[in-house]
Amino acid sequence: MSSTSPLILADGITKRFGANQVLTRVSLEVLERDVVCVVGPSGSGKTTLLRCLALLEEPSEGRVVMEGVPISTPSPDKQVKAAARDVRSEIGMVFQHFNLWPHMSVLQNLIEAPIRVKKMPRDKAVAIAESLLKKVDLFEKRDAYPARLSGGQQQRVAIARALAMSPKVLLFDEATSALDPELRREVLAVMRQLAREGMTMLVVTHEMGFARHVGTRTVFMDRGEIVEAAPGSAFFDAPQTERAQRFLQQFADE
Amino acid sequence: MFKYQFRWDTVWGSFDFLMGGLQMTLVISAITLVLAMVGGLVIALLDMSRFRVLRWIGISIGEVVRNTPILVQLLWVYYVLPIVFGVRIEALVALIIGLALYQASFISEVYRSGIQSVPKGHREAAQVLGLTPLQSFNRIVLPQAIRMTLPPLASNFVQLIKFSSLGAVISVSEITRRGMELSATNFRPLETFTFIAVVYFFICWPLAMAIRFWERRLQAR
Repeated sequence: MSSTSPLILADGITKRFGANQVLTRVSLEVLERDVVCVVGPSGSGKTTLLRCLALLEEPSEGRVVMEGVPISTPSPDKQVKAAARDVRSEIGMVFQHFNLWPHMSVLQNLIEAPIRVKKMPRDKAVAIAESLLKKVDLFEKRDAYPARLSGGQQQRVAIARALAMSPKVLLFDEATSALDPELRREVLAVMRQLAREGMTMLVVTHEMGFARHVGTRTVFMDRGEIVEAAPGSAFFDAPQTERAQRFLQQFADE
Repeated sequence: MFKYQFRWDTVWGSFDFLMGGLQMTLVISAITLVLAMVGGLVIALLDMSRFRVLRWIGISIGEVVRNTPILVQLLWVYYVLPIVFGVRIEALVALIIGLALYQASFISEVYRSGIQSVPKGHREAAQVLGLTPLQSFNRIVLPQAIRMTLPPLASNFVQLIKFSSLGAVISVSEITRRGMELSATNFRPLETFTFIAVVYFFICWPLAMAIRFWERRLQAR
């Protein structure tokens, strides 16, 4: 793959659910080590865009391209499907509601995919899982079941579970929205650490502080379109469009 | 006042006869439960099939069975099936077929709701991590669904113990039938059927209580 092609690219994606058009020709590229933050009012299509990139939704028009190879198109052919299978686990995702598997312990949650998908030997998977649990500061919870953990702890486990597949890019779908403020902080701290370590991330979020200080680029979406995109904190310091200004105004009032 | 000379000795005298019937009741219920679990799976698979004809068959079976009385179904299996197929069906076999079909139509719903009780997000997490749909079903959906399905299946067993008494109508020699035969010879229906009711109660009640306790523990998770 040429180093110039983006790690993952949304190429003119339109998404309709029945008569309801949720995304309109959205194009977005994420380069290696980028931390792209997608902000915007609820219902603006941020999550749908992320789900298209995570291959959970098929675009109605446009395509998803990973390192120059199309991996998702409307009614994909064999080649695209095969490409999608190959890169499937290189795209990690962290969900708003964690989605840990409740019938498995924390450790089992982490080793399930490496063992089943990567055919990794169990002890190697366990070693990786344990080091990841140390990283998110939850090693002592390795044998606990998700129901015994706080929301913040569950989300940190979910991040570790995604990292266990060593993805090339990690997608965050409002990863802190379901959490109380004090629990948000511990999750944001982990995300910040990942960004520092050079993880490529696409972060749908309402955390303006995170977008401003950690993001390398901020993308503002409204009504299914990308309205504005600016590097780093430029979006917050000098929003160009009226819609973005109005959106940011709400946070200034807080 | 209620002047009645209880003669419980008429029941004790036939204790073994009635207990033999109880054994029959439990065996019928157990066999029927196993058959109904398999039948329920077949109906559930038909319901969820990709092919419209199969879906239609599955749904039709379920609707017909759930919306006609179980007693009529048993009489139908016992009297009508032999005419249609020209074979004699043992009363016991007819009872087991009839009850199994009836329970299967309910158990198929139990399976369906068990599978639907697993949040979509759990499957999406598996999908994103690269698990195949089959792996996702076997490792993520099924273990959770089975846990949700066991208490309702146990409740079905309790129901079968009670429904199997309908076998008496087509002369299957389970405990209710034996009670009818006994009371026809000892002329003591009050003692006989009271005793039988108590036997049913003390088998079904502890089971029902245990299931309720079990369900509450599952919900607490």
